[in-house]
This record gives sequence, C-alpha cells and structure tokens, in this order.
Amino acid sequence: MMTERFTVPAKLKTTGFALLIIGLLTLIAGGITLLGSANEIDHSRFWVSLLHNSVFFLFICVASIFIQAAASLAQGGWILAYKRIPEAIGANVWIFGIIALAVLFAIVFGAADHNGHNPIYHWTHPGDDKILQGKSAFLNPGMFVGFSVVAVVLWSWFGIKFRQRSIAQETAPKNSTKIYWGVIALSGAFLFVYALTMMSTIPWFWIMSIDAHWFSTLFSWYVFASAFVSGISLILLWVIYLKGKNALKLVTKEHIHDLGKFMFAFSIFWTYLWFSQFMLIWYGNIPEETTYFKIRMQGPYSFFFYANIIINLVLPIFILMSRPSKRNYFTLVFIAFMIIFGHWIDFYMMINPSPMQENWFLNWFELGVPFFFVGILILAVSNTLSKASLITENHPLLKETLVHIS
Amino acid sequence: MAIKKFAVACFDDEAPLFAAVDKVRNSGYKLHDVYTPFPVHGLDVAMGHKDTDLHIAGFCFGLTGTATALGFMSWIFTSDWPINYAGKPFFALPAFIPITFELTVLFAAVGMVLTYCYLNQIMPGVKKHVFHPRQTDDYFVLVVEVPEGEPEGEIMEFLAGTNPLETNVQVAEDGWWFGRWDKDEDYTKNFA
Amino acid sequence: MHLKYESFVREPLITGDKTYAQVTEDICKPIEQKPSKLWYVGFVLSLLFLGFGVFSVFWEVYWGLGTWGINRTVGWGWDITNFVWWVGIGHAGTLISAILLLFRQGWRTGVNRAAEAMTIFAVMCAGQFPIFHMGRVWNAFYVLPLPNTRGPLWPNFNSALLWDVFAISTYFTVSLLFWYSGLVPDFATIRDRAKTKLRKRLYGLASFGWTGTAKNWQRFEALSLVLAGLSTPLVLSVHTIVSFDFATSVIPGWHATIFPPYFVAGAVFSGFAMVQTLLILVRKIYKMEDYITLGHIEAMNKVIVLTGSIVGVAYLTELFMAWYSQVHFEQEAFKYRVFGPYWWAYWAMMTCNVVSPQFFWFKKLRRNIVFTFILSIVVNIGMWFERFVIIVTTLANDFLPSSWTYYSPTWPELGFYLGTFGLFFTCFFLFSKYFPVIAIAEIKFTLKVSGDKYKRDMQRLDAMTTEEFLEEANHAH
Repeated sequence: MMTERFTVPAKLKTTGFALLIIGLLTLIAGGITLLGSANEIDHSRFWVSLLHNSVFFLFICVASIFIQAAASLAQGGWILAYKRIPEAIGANVWIFGIIALAVLFAIVFGAADHNGHNPIYHWTHPGDDKILQGKSAFLNPGMFVGFSVVAVVLWSWFGIKFRQRSIAQETAPKNSTKIYWGVIALSGAFLFVYALTMMSTIPWFWIMSIDAHWFSTLFSWYVFASAFVSGISLILLWVIYLKGKNALKLVTKEHIHDLGKFMFAFSIFWTYLWFSQFMLIWYGNIPEETTYFKIRMQGPYSFFFYANIIINLVLPIFILMSRPSKRNYFTLVFIAFMIIFGHWIDFYMMINPSPMQENWFLNWFELGVPFFFVGILILAVSNTLSKASLITENHPLLKETLVHIS
Repeated sequence: MAIKKFAVACFDDEAPLFAAVDKVRNSGYKLHDVYTPFPVHGLDVAMGHKDTDLHIAGFCFGLTGTATALGFMSWIFTSDWPINYAGKPFFALPAFIPITFELTVLFAAVGMVLTYCYLNQIMPGVKKHVFHPRQTDDYFVLVVEVPEGEPEGEIMEFLAGTNPLETNVQVAEDGWWFGRWDKDEDYTKNFA
Repeated sequence: MHLKYESFVREPLITGDKTYAQVTEDICKPIEQKPSKLWYVGFVLSLLFLGFGVFSVFWEVYWGLGTWGINRTVGWGWDITNFVWWVGIGHAGTLISAILLLFRQGWRTGVNRAAEAMTIFAVMCAGQFPIFHMGRVWNAFYVLPLPNTRGPLWPNFNSALLWDVFAISTYFTVSLLFWYSGLVPDFATIRDRAKTKLRKRLYGLASFGWTGTAKNWQRFEALSLVLAGLSTPLVLSVHTIVSFDFATSVIPGWHATIFPPYFVAGAVFSGFAMVQTLLILVRKIYKMEDYITLGHIEAMNKVIVLTGSIVGVAYLTELFMAWYSQVHFEQEAFKYRVFGPYWWAYWAMMTCNVVSPQFFWFKKLRRNIVFTFILSIVVNIGMWFERFVIIVTTLANDFLPSSWTYYSPTWPELGFYLGTFGLFFTCFFLFSKYFPVIAIAEIKFTLKVSGDKYKRDMQRLDAMTTEEFLEEANHAH
C-alpha cells in the first residue's frame, strides 16, 4: 500500500501561530480602540472588517467542498493526486463556520447606534421604512439565524463526511467501488444543498442585505464565482507548498497545469458575471439599482473598483494565457496570491461601502484582521493534512491520475 | 517540389511505429514523414518536431479584432457621427464590450484557420501523394527518402528490420499540386 | 508513447470489440450505401415542411407583417420565441465539442460530430426569425456597418439587437470552422476508400488534400484546442447577448441581472435534450449502438438534470426577487406571469423544465431509452414555453392597462415555425447521408483507451498495486 505521511514543519507551525497572534492582537487592539471610541463609525469599522473576513474565509473554504463534489460527480481523475488538500480544507469549514456565525449574530443582535438602529443590517429595525417592512417576512432575525445555522451545519457536515469517506476507501477491499458510488450520491445531495444556500439564500442574507433596499438576482452566483476562483487558488498554494517540501510525490506538472487552467478559466467566468451584473444595471440606469454602483464606482471607492478588475481579470488573463506560465511554480504562486487578494478586495467592495459610506479605511486594523484567519487556516489545515496519508490509495481513479496529461 | 523515390513501411499499431521512428532517426536515413489515421500523442516529439506556434498567430489575430472593433466603434460614436442614445455617453465603453468580444473571437478563429490551411498546405483542389490507401484507415505509414541516384536495396533491408507489415518502393511527388482525386498520376517514367 | 489506461469504474465507450478498421467500416458504410426507405420518407417529409415554411414566409413578405398576430402591445411573439429557442438548441453542440474537449470528457467523441451539425443547422433556423421579423426584409443589410450614402448612417452599436447580429454571425462562422476542420481528416478517410470515381473526386475536394502527416496532426490538435478555447466563452456570450435583448430594457420581468447565466444554462439544457432526440434516432437508424452507448445517453441525462436544476434555481430566484425587491411593477409582472391570462404557459414551463428532469436523479430512468426520448421532447416543449412566457406574457400586460391584449399566432407564423423544422431536418438528413455522423479519427484516438476489447486487457493494470503501476507507466515512456 502506498502511503505518504506529512509532518507539519516547525517553521509552518511558528508562522501560523505568529500570524494568528498578530491577528488576535489586532482584534484586541481594535476592540479597545474602535469599540471604545465615541465615534460610531469606529464601531461599524470593527464589525464590518470582522464580517468581511469571516465570510470571505468561510466561503473560500466551502469552495473546496464544492470542488470535491463537482469532481466526484464528473468522475474526474485529475484531482486525486492532491485530493487530500481540498478534503483537509473542507473538513475545517466548521471552524470558520462557527466564527462567521458568532460574528453575524453579534452584528444582528448586538450592533446598534445611538438610535438603537443596526448600522450594518438596517433591516433588523425596519421602523417606518415601507420597503423594509415589506421585506420583513424574509429579512428578520429569526429567518437569518435559521438559514445561517442550517447552512453552516450542512456545509461542515459534508466537509467532514467527504474526508471520512475518502480515508475509509484506503482500507476498503482492493478496487472496491462501494464508497466511490456512495460519495457520488453524497455529492449530488451536496449540490442540492449548495444550490439552496451558497447559490441563493446565504449571500442574500449575509451580504446583499447590507444594502437593504438594493437587489440583484445575479448576486449570489456572482459571490459564488468570486469564492470559487479564490478557493482554487488556495488549493494551488497548498499543493505548491507541499511540493516544495518534497511531499505529494504523485503530483506532476500536469496536475499543476490543470489548476492553472482552472484559475484562468474561472477568472474569466467571474468577470463574465461581474460584467453581466454591472452592465445591465448601468444600461438600465434605474435609480434603485444604480445606488449600489454609484458609491462604488464614482465615490471614494473608485480606486478599488478599477483595481478589482485589473487584479482579477487583466492580470490572470495575461499572465496565465501561455502554457509555460501555467507550469511555472513562481508565476502560479504569484498569481494565486494576487487572485486571493483581489477577491478579498472584491468582498471588501461588497461589504464595506454601504455601512462605511465615504469614511472608508484600509489601515492597520483592516489589514491585520485577515492574519487571524490565515493563521487559523494554516494551523488547522496543516494539522488535518498530517493526520492521514497524502495519497488517496485504493481510489478507483487513482491510477488514471498517474498517467494524466493536462 | 520534386519527384523522388521513397521507401515505405506500414505498421498497424503505434508501438512498433515509435520504435521504427527512433531507429530511422538514429540511422542517418532521411525520414520523409509519418502518416497516421488519427493524431498520435508524442509522435511529433519522437520525430523531433518543434511545438507549433499556431496559437501565437491566433493571439495576434484576436488582438487585431479587438483593436478593429474598439477603434471603429469609438471613431464612429465620438467623431464621425456622435448620437445621443438613451442618455449614454458617446464613448459608452460597457456597451462596446459585446461587439468587441465577438470580433476578437471572429478574427482569431478565421485567421487561425486560414493560417492552419496555409501551413498544412490544404485547400479544396489540392492533391498530395497517398502512400497507402489505408493510412487514413488503420495503417501507420513511415516513409524514408531514397537519396537520388542510389539503389533502394539497403534501405529496404534496413526497414525490414523494424518488423513492418509490408514495405515497398514508390516514386512520387513530395509536395502538393492541383489535381483531381479520381485521376492517377504516374511518375515511374521519370525514373525509368 | 504513453501508457494507455482507463479506470475499471468507467464503462467502455466503444463496444463490440472494434478495431481501427472496423470503426472506419461502421461509420463509412451508411455513406456508401443507398439510403433506407425510412430515410427517403423522412427526407421528403422534411422537404414538405420546408416548402410550407417557404410559402408562409413568402406570404408574410408579400402582404407584410400584418399577416402575423403580433400587434403594438405584443411586438414580439412566436418569431422571437422561436429565434431564442433555436439558438438555445444550438448551444449543446458547442458545449459538447468545446467545453467537454477542454474538460477531457472522453464520451464526447461519440456524439460531438452530430451535435455540432445540429448547432449549425439550429443557428441557421434561428437566424431566419429576426430577419423576416424586420418586415421589409430587403432592407436587412441596414444592420451591417457598411459605409453608405445615407449620411453615412451607422447602426446603433449600443443596441443589444445589433450585438445579436454580431454574436449570431460570429457563432455561426466559428462553429462552422470548428466543425469543418474536424471533418477534413474524415473526408480523407472516405476518399481513400472510395470505390466510385465521383465519390473519390468530391470527397477529394472536400478533404482539402489531407494526408495525415505527423506535423499536420500536431497543428490539427493545436487548432482544435484553441478553437475550443475560443468557442467556450463564445457560446456563453451568444446566449448572454440574446438575454441582453431583454435584460437591457427597463421592462419588469425582463430587466434582471440573472438573465445572462440563466439563459446560457437553459440553452444547454434544451440543446442536450435535442441532442438526445436526434441521437437516439441516429443510433437506431444507422445501427450505431456500439458508438453511442447507454453510457453516452446517461452522461447527457446527467447534464440535463444539472442544467434543469440550475434553471429551476433561476426561476425561483426571479420569483423571489420580484417579491423581495418590493417594486410594485416587478411584483405585478410576476403575478400576471403565474396567475394571469397565460398561466397555462407558466405552469407548462415549470412542469416540463423543473419537475420533469428531476426523474433523471434515478439511474434506471437515465438509462431507459424510451423514457429519455420522451423526456427530451418534453424538455424542448418546456424550453419553448419558457421563451414564450418571458416574451409574450411580459409584453401582454404592459405599463398601460388600456393597451393590454391577448396574443395568438396566425397561420403564417405557425407555418414559418414548421418550416424551420423542415429546414433543420432537411439539413440533418443530408448530413447523415453524406457526412460521417461520428468523428472517425477521434473515435480511433480513444479506441485503445475506452474500447471494450482493450479495457479487458487493462484488468492486468487494475490488479497492480499503485507502485507497480507507477513503474509500468514510467517504463512506457
């Protein structure tokens, strides 16, 4: 039986802890100075940044579960050389889920300005706002909590379950396919859940409802595309990191090339959805809809608006178009970091402008908080990776991945 | 284009073909070409062909399309005949994107196919010598050029060592010409 | 040379113990034989439909658009419905040939040739509708940005309708090039085995003088990959731009940001249904069961249930957002859609498109040919109703209640639609007689990986441990 164990290098552990502590210190410092400040904008700043990061990191980790489900359903052999990585990320979704739920509920139930209104989710107190009153059958704390909890629980369960089944295959009888078909059925069920959460309700509740009057039918699909391309980049970073540590001996340039193609293709897909949403609202020019882009495009955020397109479209297209660059570790790592950063900015642009208006910040606090999440990600995923073999031995498609040509 | 004499060896599987290609390349004989009924992966590398640059041509054609579309629409709507449509700016970039994209794809695709036909020297009416009628069916045909004025015996013996299904000697035009496929050309007289 | 291996969990894609020579024989045979009686019956029937279509169009052009049921309130009726429907059907061909090529899905080789042909014919049918909907069809060239003496007066590049002109014509051209570049080597195969002089001459002409040298094949593969890479965003853009025809307006029920991806999913959905309809017939009539296996049909049914569900999510999203927006007109538009005078169209759409494909969650039904055939037709009916619902029910209840009306088509509209079926099937019958309906070279390329004969020999590889297999794979180089 072919196995490959991974021991977490001390340096990675130290880095993870260091980042975690930097993030934690930032949070504590932010808690003292921002929450203690007399200025209400500072309170919002604290919560908005936490919301931004907890949702972003949760979504890109959930993307790893989606990739496993999609690959299982399409019977893709290409992923098996490094499938333990999306499995490890997916199995840790519960951590980010709990953090996100804590932050979301704290905001919904805790955040209040001097009038008792919620500065981020205006809909919690509709007052005499006719539109918010009309939406209150959907936008109310009860529904919010219900949908959020169910979604997070289901995602976490599937994330853990997929990894369990995959490890169970190692000790199953040789070439047995019982687990294989079981995972395919499970993946179908996951897609069903995914469609009703990630592709629809959850981004409406968590993100779109920040602009409580505004609506866009495409919104959740757009959020999905953003999270998905970052999720692929995250997997690629882990693959190349492990490859640099002489682990993942089955992974060749052919597999890395695949991930490069995915980053290229889904950057274009994200742009497609971005353009569809933007262009239709720009073209229709209806005030109810254009408010969303007015502040983002022409207001104080215009720099990020254009940076978003340059980082997430122009860079990946021109850097990843040629074949050699998709097989070069350096360019891939560079572009993966850029994509994750770019979509982090994209989420920043979805979440920040409405509560913060023209008082925007991208300062020590906003740039320090993500380290908390990156630290957790490094520690949790590397720990999970070390718990099982890196090779998905005895998977019916494993041999295909050994002769895979990109 | 010239009329030459060729030694031909036919195989019915890729494995002996690859071995034969290696052998011919190491022997110093001039490998004319290999004909297969479908693309055989790795054969181009085994024969020492470089990667094709066709996609670079496609990229250039695509950029031409982008520039044509954007330039043309911008010129018309900002300088040649500006019209206010629905309060949009004259230079309405988001509205230009769809046509720009379409023309990029159109130019890239048409340009590439034409380049491809030119490089492969294929077009309606073109005729080339077919060494074996089954080379588009199930035979893998390896062709070695017999140097001018030399007898083919030694080469034939050498080819027989690669375990082919059949071997023969043919006199043929090595390039292309315009002709009808229902008429046969006969070049043996050139070598009579 | 690489080790040829495919996992035992995949069923063989080519059955019947084929060799290269047999593949050629099986696929070329229908071309070299006289067509069957069934073929003649179908062909003549198609010609009759086509003839009736031509007459209906002649009637409309001669007497004017007044012969159609469309009016000032409902300016788009069956014409644009049929246009969108046909374009959508075309999408599956490009999806199979391009996207599945990029995703390395082996099963596409059995069905891509016929699906691409279907794309081209469907786009030809689609194009007729906007052209004849212009009324004064002799002025149709006004949509082209030609230098002229009228100012010069240019078309409006900001109009989604003009984007359509570019999108559809580009789509047609690129699909044709992609299709034909794949046909060239297959024509050479027919040419080299031709027994009659005429066939040799014509297929010689059509094969462009292809001989299959290693360098030519290398360029062939490079071209296929880049054309696939271009066609993938292209096919998305085409139905996206079709959706822009509606979504760039400010009409409630049309102005929705989800339209672009939702139209694309719907197009793929209906296209795969049409591929099923055609290929179930083709495999039966030409006895291609060894190449278009149950595995192929099941794979396509999986795509149908996936895209059908995506479309379902989009329907529900639209409905939900109409309420959530708290915009009075949005809410009314959807109220009229669901419960208004055209309620039957809405519920037909919901049943056919969202409910019926859910049966394909069951493996038994996915592999049942009769059921698949019936459902593929149900899906296409549903997708026609989707376009009808979007177009007609939205227009019939516009901003002015005094101009509300009920639209029904007249016989020339019906005849025009039937005529496009005639055109489509005339082309398809000719294609199936004179063209290889399955890509010969591509099937041979996958034969030693997915042919049942060769898969049996792979049991040796399946029995190996991973280490032994790795050793073997490294040796094969």
